[in-house]
Amino acid sequence: MLSIVFGDVENAVYHPPTYFDNTYLDEWITDPRTREMIRDVDKSEVVSARAIDSPFLGSISVRELSGGVKTLILMLFDDSGRIFNASSCGDNCAKWICRIAREKDLTINLHHVMDFSSCDGFEAYMINTGRTVKSFEEYLDEALSIEER
Amino acid sequence: MRGSHHVVVQNRRVRFEFSVRRNVTIVRGDSATGKTTLMSLIEAYDRLGDASGVEVVCDRRCVAINNANWEAVLAGASSCIVFLDEDVSAAKTPEFARRVRESDNYYVIITREDLPNLPYSVDEIYGIHTSGKYADLRRTYNSFYRIYEPDEPREMGPVETVITEDSNSGHQFVKAVCAADINVTSAYGKSNVRKLLSKHKGQRVLVIADGAAFGPEMGDVHLFAKAHPEVGVYLPESFEWVILDSGVIDGNRIKDILDHTEDFVESGEFFSWERFFTHLLVQETKDTYLRYTKAELNSAYLNGRVLESVLAAMGQVGSLLLRQGEAATERDGPRDRAETSGDASKSGDKE
Repeated sequence: MLSIVFGDVENAVYHPPTYFDNTYLDEWITDPRTREMIRDVDKSEVVSARAIDSPFLGSISVRELSGGVKTLILMLFDDSGRIFNASSCGDNCAKWICRIAREKDLTINLHHVMDFSSCDGFEAYMINTGRTVKSFEEYLDEALSIEER
Repeated sequence: MRGSHHVVVQNRRVRFEFSVRRNVTIVRGDSATGKTTLMSLIEAYDRLGDASGVEVVCDRRCVAINNANWEAVLAGASSCIVFLDEDVSAAKTPEFARRVRESDNYYVIITREDLPNLPYSVDEIYGIHTSGKYADLRRTYNSFYRIYEPDEPREMGPVETVITEDSNSGHQFVKAVCAADINVTSAYGKSNVRKLLSKHKGQRVLVIADGAAFGPEMGDVHLFAKAHPEVGVYLPESFEWVILDSGVIDGNRIKDILDHTEDFVESGEFFSWERFFTHLLVQETKDTYLRYTKAELNSAYLNGRVLESVLAAMGQVGSLLLRQGEAATERDGPRDRAETSGDASKSGDKE
């Protein structure tokens, strides 16, 4: 189940890519789900735990992955209890956030209204208002009423 | 600082090429489009110059700031193009906005956040796309594209509600022109527009706001309009810009200013182009029958050729409002436009 909290909150990581660079584990990178996310979002292939083949940048390190994909990987694997700022993710990451939230309870922090319209059967618990929304339209109404960003 | 400044940033793998022409440019969009790569090239060049292996071609110095050094760097930066990545949380503080307002730099800010303290334009919100590989097949070429194209709202049927961002002259003009059965309501601040949209959900709503400073609200309003096709959004630079563009003031000189506004706006003097257009219109009309004040609309704008010219400058939206007004006049008889507009700021809106 996906939970969303808008605005500054305790225990949140404002810039997940930096946190990722200093905490990621090799086995996260070679996990099939990570490979798929990197292929879809970054259009790149995982060669090994320490090498990525990017069509734009050539052979790159894990640290040169996009901020969005680093944040997704943290959402999938990090077990520190921290909440990651999904405003580091573009809308092309939205479907992956929804997919991760189907596997586990996931709480994300947002500082802008993310576009989840591409996610079928979107459902989320809105922590700021205490309401569960069961469609993108309901989410949008709820998100636009929230002052915190 | 004024003018448009072309920037080329490249190494052997990637090349970015774009221009900046206002004090604030926002870069956002999908993940993995090269935003952080652009930022890291600027930062490397700023730190090491040519020895970084990065080439930056621009007629102004390009500097990168971060959370730790932004105050110190800005204290010594003048007529620079300042770049911020999305990790610079200071960008959303009032203190940062004050520094932007008081400086003569241009700022390129990578963020998906609204940054409500900065009145940036909807026209200066960009994404990055890859244009391909040209002369050098080893290098990828990237450029900026406007995320929100400045076109007119899609063809709308009759409007039920018009939302304006404040109750000033622009609101008074629209209220005077609209048919009595159109609910013209002020949001009393652009940040309230999204709440009013939610309130009027299901109605055919037209939002009219000053595009020159509406950037912080655009993400929300765009998402709402995408989910609700009955909503139209009309964002000229500002109401004052519409009047200037209508040709009622002067011919070629004003046109030249509007065509190359960036060459006339000193960024340290005007926080946004919206303020520049107001200043220009007030100056151009003082001591004339078209004397303009922002707070209360001069009734001269509601009569004859002037009214027609301003409506024509509003394009499709002007025609739409006029059509509905004429239909109502045919049905209900004429209204006194000057009277309708004059009390707008005193008696409040219909709601």
